Amino acid sequence: MGTQESTTAGRTLRARAAGLTDQPLTLLTVAGFWTWLVVRWTNDFLLDGALIDRNTSFFPTAPFEAAASTLGGLAASLGPVGFPVGWVAGFFEFLAASIPYLPQLATGVWATILLTVLGIALGFVIAVPLSVARVYGGTLTRSVALGYTELFRGTPLLAQLFVLYFATPLTTIIRELPAVGTGFIPAQAFWVAVIAFMLNSAAYQSEYIRSALNSVPEGQLTAARAIGLSKVDGIRHVVLPQGLRYAIPGWSNELVYLIKYSSLASFITVRELFERTDAIASETYRYTELFVLAGLLYLALVLSASLLMEYVEDRVAIPGLGTTSR
Amino acid sequence: MSDPLLALDDVYKSYGEEQVLSGVSFEMDAGDVDVVIGPSGSGKSTMLRCVNRLTEIDSGDIYLDGDCVTDADTDVNELRKQVGMVFQDFNLFAHLTALGNVTLGLRKVRGMDKATAQEQGYEHLEQVGLSDQADSYPAELSGGQKQRVGIARALAMDPKLLLFDEPTSALDPELVGEVVDVMRDLAAEGITMLVVSHEMGFARSAASDIIFLDDGRIVEHGPPEQLFQNPQAARTGEFLSRLETAHEEE
Repeated sequence: MGTQESTTAGRTLRARAAGLTDQPLTLLTVAGFWTWLVVRWTNDFLLDGALIDRNTSFFPTAPFEAAASTLGGLAASLGPVGFPVGWVAGFFEFLAASIPYLPQLATGVWATILLTVLGIALGFVIAVPLSVARVYGGTLTRSVALGYTELFRGTPLLAQLFVLYFATPLTTIIRELPAVGTGFIPAQAFWVAVIAFMLNSAAYQSEYIRSALNSVPEGQLTAARAIGLSKVDGIRHVVLPQGLRYAIPGWSNELVYLIKYSSLASFITVRELFERTDAIASETYRYTELFVLAGLLYLALVLSASLLMEYVEDRVAIPGLGTTSR
Repeated sequence: MSDPLLALDDVYKSYGEEQVLSGVSFEMDAGDVDVVIGPSGSGKSTMLRCVNRLTEIDSGDIYLDGDCVTDADTDVNELRKQVGMVFQDFNLFAHLTALGNVTLGLRKVRGMDKATAQEQGYEHLEQVGLSDQADSYPAELSGGQKQRVGIARALAMDPKLLLFDEPTSALDPELVGEVVDVMRDLAAEGITMLVVSHEMGFARSAASDIIFLDDGRIVEHGPPEQLFQNPQAARTGEFLSRLETAHEEE
């Protein structure tokens, strides 16, 4: 039908997003990861180490050590053909060596999640008006929004962190605030990082949202205006609900990026996952084990984020609108 | 004699070099159904969009119920509450159900609470024979159903005047009938309608007046019998006979 095509012009129709149940392995990994995290945090932060000592892992190392030494012996006895067994032995050795550091890394993961979630959420609050200004603003608001976006996308995030942390009075101001750095509330460096991620991520998010807003057919706003909605109300009640749905896949990318870019906060002393990993590694010289482990934890976080966004996309899907259909 | 419901007085509109409307004047009374015909590019849609100021005119005046709506200080949102519009491409809000489309204006423009708006929304869907599709999204409706929701959405605002911008030209031929039937019902109920359409069946049976627009000017304006049987201008006769031929070929 000709009209059907014209109303959906400019949209890419993608096959229905794979349901969560289509990926049992991912689901299992993510479920296990989060069970461990939540139990760990509850024990460490809320129960003051009631279940197990804060620095002791839930998982014993002895069985892995035993397996490693048995397999190592087997590999040696097999001679030159024993090398695949040797690799398996090496894997168990890696597990045995890494497990003791898991509790400290779990604390880092908490900070990483907090940084990412606050950065992306606060950034979103800025990104929406920014993208609306880009698409619907007058010459002045459009250039201001464009200038902002180019500035924060065009300079390194690390440089932004450094400028905010060292070159502005922000650090001092936050330090003077009550409660900062006490109890559950992280110290000033953390908040400077949150602000940097918010400002930076807003620029990237606004680009995703802007292109999504552009793909909402013009007739939608015209129809909204025709029933007497003001331009702002038309954008709010008609254009944004559609545009934000189109934006989800691209926006998910930004979330995945930010999880990993949050590691840059380690450069201004925020005790997040990367900083913890690096600190323990320089004490113990177990660089390989620790960074592989940190990599796996980041991977688990990214998988969690992807699953979450798939779920959200599925939940808000509307027939005929954007990427998914019911 | 009371004021006409809608009056256009010497309206001019150009897009850059291109003159679209060149001194258009006409009046219609409450309850009238005027059908605007004319070749493509003659300014029909532009004229319609000038009435609710989706397009701004260059000069002239437009009066709705005695008020000049083309004044600079007219609140366009107030004006649009009183003038409903039905679009060629439907332009249904894609993220809302049929009922949601009809109630959005009631809630966000008229400030009605959700329950009252839904009650009224159902009535308007009933009016276009679609109360059973209240929960369907636009993508789940046929073209004819979409356009009927579009009509219900415009009706819901209880407008003084309904504008129809080629409401059936995006429809498959077999779906035109259901939309025309709804329009005919509305005409019979005494709703004032200004319709850009080449549905000659509708024009013959429901129109009070037919306006033939060509090259931004009203060439002829009169009751359907006069235009169809005894056109005053040669251009009108030519255009109508070409329209007839086109319809027969279909």
